Order: sequence, then C-alpha cells, then structure tokens
Amino acid sequence: METLGFLLQGFAAALTLENLGFALAGCVLGTLVGVLPGIGPTSGLAILLPLTSFLPPTPAIIMLAAIYYGAMYGGSTTAILVNIPGEVASVVTTLDGYQMARQGRAGPALAIAAISSFVAGTLGLVGLTFFAPPLADVALRVGPPEYFGLVVLAFSVVVSLSGASLLRGLSSAALGALLALVGLDPQSGVRRFTYGTTTLLDGVDFIAVVIGLFAIAEVLAGVEASLAAVSAAPVGRVLPRWSEVRACAGTMLRATAVGFGLGLLPGCTPGAISFISYDLERRLSRTPERFGRGAIEGVAAPEGANNATTSGGFVPLLALGIPATPALAVLLGGLMIYGLQPGPLLFEKQPRFVWAVIASMYVGNVMLLVLNLPLVGLWARLVRVPYALMAPLILVFSVLGAFSVRNSMTDVGLALVFGVLGWLMLRLGYPTAPLVLALILTPMLETALRQSLSMAGGSPLILVTRPLAVILIVAGLALTVWSLRARPGREMP
Amino acid sequence: MMRVRTRSLSSLLAVALALALAAPPAWAQPAYPTRPVEIVVAFAPGGGADVAARLIAGYASKKWGQPVNVVNMPGASGITGTLRALGARPDGYTLLLEPHATASMLFAVERDVPFKMDGKTPIALITLDPVIYTVKADSPWKSLRDVAEAARSNPKGFRYGIAGVAAVAAFSVAQFLHAAGVPIADTNRVVFPGGAPAMTALAGGHVDFAGQQWSESAPLIQAGKVRGLAVVHPARLPNLPDVPTAAEAGFPELDVVGWQGLTGPPGLPAPIVQKWSALVEEASRDRAFLEQAAKVNKVIAYKGPEAFWRFQEEELRKYVPLATRMGIRK
Repeated sequence: METLGFLLQGFAAALTLENLGFALAGCVLGTLVGVLPGIGPTSGLAILLPLTSFLPPTPAIIMLAAIYYGAMYGGSTTAILVNIPGEVASVVTTLDGYQMARQGRAGPALAIAAISSFVAGTLGLVGLTFFAPPLADVALRVGPPEYFGLVVLAFSVVVSLSGASLLRGLSSAALGALLALVGLDPQSGVRRFTYGTTTLLDGVDFIAVVIGLFAIAEVLAGVEASLAAVSAAPVGRVLPRWSEVRACAGTMLRATAVGFGLGLLPGCTPGAISFISYDLERRLSRTPERFGRGAIEGVAAPEGANNATTSGGFVPLLALGIPATPALAVLLGGLMIYGLQPGPLLFEKQPRFVWAVIASMYVGNVMLLVLNLPLVGLWARLVRVPYALMAPLILVFSVLGAFSVRNSMTDVGLALVFGVLGWLMLRLGYPTAPLVLALILTPMLETALRQSLSMAGGSPLILVTRPLAVILIVAGLALTVWSLRARPGREMP
Repeated sequence: MMRVRTRSLSSLLAVALALALAAPPAWAQPAYPTRPVEIVVAFAPGGGADVAARLIAGYASKKWGQPVNVVNMPGASGITGTLRALGARPDGYTLLLEPHATASMLFAVERDVPFKMDGKTPIALITLDPVIYTVKADSPWKSLRDVAEAARSNPKGFRYGIAGVAAVAAFSVAQFLHAAGVPIADTNRVVFPGGAPAMTALAGGHVDFAGQQWSESAPLIQAGKVRGLAVVHPARLPNLPDVPTAAEAGFPELDVVGWQGLTGPPGLPAPIVQKWSALVEEASRDRAFLEQAAKVNKVIAYKGPEAFWRFQEEELRKYVPLATRMGIRK
C-alpha cells in the first residue's frame, strides 16, 4: 500500500490552487485542440511547449499532460456532429455517432462519449498507478511477430464492417490496402507509386482521405438529396437516459481493457485500437444490426478505448522513457528539458513529481467531464442550424482540416478526390469503413511482417514458433471464419 | 502517422510568446530581427532535430526579445520541410535546422535528391548527438569485441535494429560490422521507423544490437534495460560515465555521429549569418545553456559558417564509401 501513500501525497500536490489552475488550462486548451479538425494533440503540444518553459516542472508537465488527454475528449465532437473525425482515433466514432446526431440524438451521443471517456480514462489511470513498471516490462516482450498477429486479428474486423455485401466490403478494404502502399518502402527506402513527386513520398495522407470519405462525401450526398429534403435534425434529449448509460457500463469496462492493454504497446496505432473495441461490442451485442445505425455502445466503445489508450501510453513513457505516440514524444521532450529522465529511476528520485502528475490526471478527468457535459447542450443545438448553412460550413472546415495537416494544397485536392469517391461508394452501396481500416492496418502489417522476416533471416517460421504470435494469428483466422459463418444470408461471392 | 500541423497556428504562438516575453530592451533595437523568426524542423516534434531547434530558439528569443518559433514540417525523410525552408525568401526570417540526415547522409544514398547539397547558406553547427552501441541488459556480450566475435562466428544469426535506411544507425552499425570483419550481407538487418521503436525492440530482445544516438539510447540505458558498450566521442558522456569511448573499447576507427546545425536559404545576407553564428558561439560558452543541452543529451559543438560547411563535406566523403559498401547507394 506504499503506492496509495504516494498517490495521496500526489493529490496533496495536485490540488494546490496553482496546479489545479494549470490542469484546468491544459484541459480547456486540449479540448480546443481536439475539437478543431486538422490540429491534433501532437501539434497542439508542440505549439504550447515553449509557453510552459517559463513554469517549474510540475505545473508544466501537469498542463502538457492535460492538453494531451483533453484532446482525446474533444476529438469526438466534430465526429458526432458533422461526420468530420478530427483525429485518427475518432474515425470509428463517426460510424454510430453521426447516425445518432441525424436521428436527433446528438446530445446523448456527445454525453456518452464524455462519460465513457471519463470512466475508461480514470480506470486506465488506476492501472497506471498500480502496475506501471511490471506492465512496461510485459509490453517490451511484444515484438514484430506479435504485432503481425495483432494486425491479423484486427483485420478480421473487415468482415463485420462490410455490411450487406462481403465482396463490396473486401473490394473497399483492398483499395485501402493499395493506397497504403504509396510512399517510401519502410524496409528499403525504395519509392513506390510516387510518380516522381515529393508530395507522395510520405504516402497518402490519412486525415485527408478520411475527411474526404466521411465529411465531404456526406455533404455531396446531402446536396444531391436536394437541400430542402435534408431537414435539420431535432435536438431531442440533451442527456442520455440512465438506462442507456447503464447499458453501456459493460462496454466501458471492455473498452478500458482493450484500450489500456493495447495502449501499453508502443507499436500499436490508436486508430486500430478503437476499431477493435468497436468490433468487440458489436460481436457481443444481442442486436448487432443496430451498429452503424446509431447504437449508443458504438460511441461509448471507441471513445472509452481512446482515453484508456492515453492512460496506457503513459506506462511505457514514465516507466521506460518510450513514447508510444508522436504526441507522447513531444511530452518526453518536455520532460527532458527539465532534466527529468523517465525510467524506474524517475519514480525513485522524483516521487513527488511523478505522483503529482499522476494524481493531476485523475483530477483532470473529472474536470473534463464537468467541462464537457454542460457544453453538450450547446453543441447539440448546432444540429438545428439549417443544412443550407451547415453544408458550406462543413466544407470549409473539411478543407481547412485537410490543409492544416501538412500545410499543403495537395492534401486539399486529395480530400476533394476522396470526397467524390466516397459519394460514389455511398451511391453504389460500397462501405467506406473497410477502406479506412485497411489504410490504418496495412502499414502496420507490412512493417511487422517484414521486420519479423528480417529477424529470422527470411524464414516465415518465426511467425509460428513464438507462442503469443501463434495465438493471435489463430484467433484472427478463427474470428474471420466465425464472422463469415455468422453472416446473414451467407452469400459467398 | 506522424503528421504535424503547426504552421497555421504559428501566429497564435507568436502572439502568445510576445505576451509571455517582456518587451524588448530599449537600449538596443537591432535592425534584425524586427519580427518573429521561424526555424523549420523537417522532422517530428520530440526528435533529435526538434530538441536542438528548441534549445537554440529559446536562447535566441530571450537574447533578442523577438520570438523565434520552431515549425515542424515532417515527412518524406525530411525532404518536405527542407525543400520548404530552402525555398523561402533569404531574409533571415525562415531558417532551417539541418541535421546529419538531410545535409549529408541523404546525398550519400540518393542521387536524385530534390534539392542541392550546396544550395543553401550554412550558418553554424550547434550540437552533436554521439552514437552509442548498445545490447540488451542481460546480453552475454560485455564489450564491442564480444559482439564482433559473435557476429563473425555466426553472421546469419546476428540481428540488429536500425531506425531508417539513410540515418545514423544504418551507417554506424555498418561501419562497426565492417571494422569487425563481419560479412554484412549475411547479417539480419531489421529496419524500424524511428530511434524509439528500434531501442524498444532491443530492450525487448527482438534484436541483439543497435547503434543509435545518445538522445535515443540514454532513457533505456538509465532504465537498466539496455547496456551501452561504447560511445563514439573523444570523451565519456556526463550522464553515462560507465560507457567507454569507442577508442577505449578497441575501435578507434568508428566515427559516425549525429549532429544538428543552423542553415538558411541560398543568398542569406552575411550580416544575418554573422549575427546567428555569433549567437550560437556565445550560447556554446553559456553555462546555463550547456547544462540545459546536457539534460536533453546533446553535446554543444559550435562551428562557424565556413567550418560548418567543411564539416558537411567531410561527412559526405565519409558516408559515400560506406553507403556503397552497404549496397544502399542508388
């Protein structure tokens, strides 16, 4: 119970007026960073890092950490209201969140996103508080072959995201996988499909693709349906019913487990984690057909997983100095500027600092909930704005979001092209989610597979001689087969 | 997925910084800089180049009372941001933080780099980030000689991790293997997307050997997860007194090093070059600045404009034969 004593001391430090103020400032700034599409936590932190250099280390890191997890809260807002996923991690939230908003349930969707974020974020912090050093050691054992197995498992989600036609779902995923191959080869540095341009060297920008496929395509579809027909959705209830929140309790717990567990692994992309959490809920649901049509669990799962991932990411950061995401790399830079070298020694040498920061994250999660719930009513009213006004605004935000990713007009062009493609796919009944999932997973799959082969001198046996990798691959294949058999109608193409 | 979007908000930062800093001193208002300066970093925040840029930007902001902002434009192995900065107007308000990778290593590997090696105005070398050869903490290899022997006797079972194909580790490990007489083509090279993942894989035992920079290796060495066998530097490093130098470890010929310098677009006026160069030189003698640099695992190593350019040419001459030998020169 030594840990509890440290944590209480941490709370004593975190609850001073000064530190509370900086945590609050960080939460507000983070929410803002999350709400604005195109500005993610990484750039938000990089911009605000110099400002904190005037502060002593504890309040500075408290504020930077708050910006990071605050951004994860804010990311769901535009995803739910206007189908623009501000972050990779909130792509999945659009699937059911936007549908809920269309049905006049924007309020409950936003509220459950905040509640689930709070619950999963806080439970994740409990994991961080009590198990950080041993969990960090476990995370180290996960190497390229295990990551390969994990991606195989994640790819089984494609089947359930495919909707009515498996063939169309797979075509969509295949297109995503092809797009993911554009750019520099990760193992040899050879240029692939770049056509001599420098803009494609880095591949097809993910955010631009998603903004096009989701937000712009939706606007195009709305315009086609003629502006008058797309009436503004009613505001409806602002807060979810208690029964809805209770129904999501299990979802939140499972999202915590998935998010925190996979968030510990530095090689796992956050986008993949929220897809896995979403798919788990759909599989466990007695009414899986509601997913994609405004299921409240479909919002609670990815949003909870996001925030548990954030808590999980602090484990390898604080215990070993390994940043699991680019945003955490900036935070690591911030720590080092203060001469705080993360690692087991940090817990021994600077316990006051470490525990004050951890305690402040509990406080920050409460602040975010208190900040976000009253805002829900305000945001939810946005859906009353007539579509004729909303549509151009969504386009403006989409273009701005695509541009600000790399300050490049190429990405704007890309977003527009994918907007048209997304509209065509909607019309022809091709689901867009498998494309996005494949775009997220393929680089991870390729890197893990080729790293594994390099480790073993080219022998694929390495994939079947490491127990955890075998378990993951078998589970992935089994889930795929199971999903295929469970498909209604089972029309194999 | 390392996409960073800072530039559009740089004006916000400028305002915020201007508020945070006191008004410029009245006794000296130099003709330059009269407005905020941008230092472009062609890599993600938190990396080696970014940390060096923030060090010097912080010093310059305080010194001149004018915001000096770091703008991250990562992508395409640094090509995107470098192109942007070298194509800017040479008025001293857009500069480039230039690291080893884009300044010389890229030219040793690629023949058609979309910018010219001499198409710029070198200003000053700021920091060095020495290479440290590392193994897992419980590895049976206690010295570089042990590693050399093991790799020679079983090259096909020797696995090493590097971050990127044209970055420090690609050259540092290849140089060591060559010096140790190991057939490089037989060994297993595993490429990781960055220094942190490569070191994580080493700590987890998925590869057996790495040669990343000080800033990338220090966290896991201090956490006791990996062991430093040698540092490529004339002296031992302040926070790693137990890690011998490469010469002490019996490999004096190893000389691959990471570094960060300041560069401007071609045609940058001499007074601006001089002003920045003098600032870096002054910083390199400032106690507080040196301490801050050591905290973020950097060695301050000032070189003026001419010396900095000669240094880059020497670097290229060093890396071309290595790249050719490794078979990665295109």
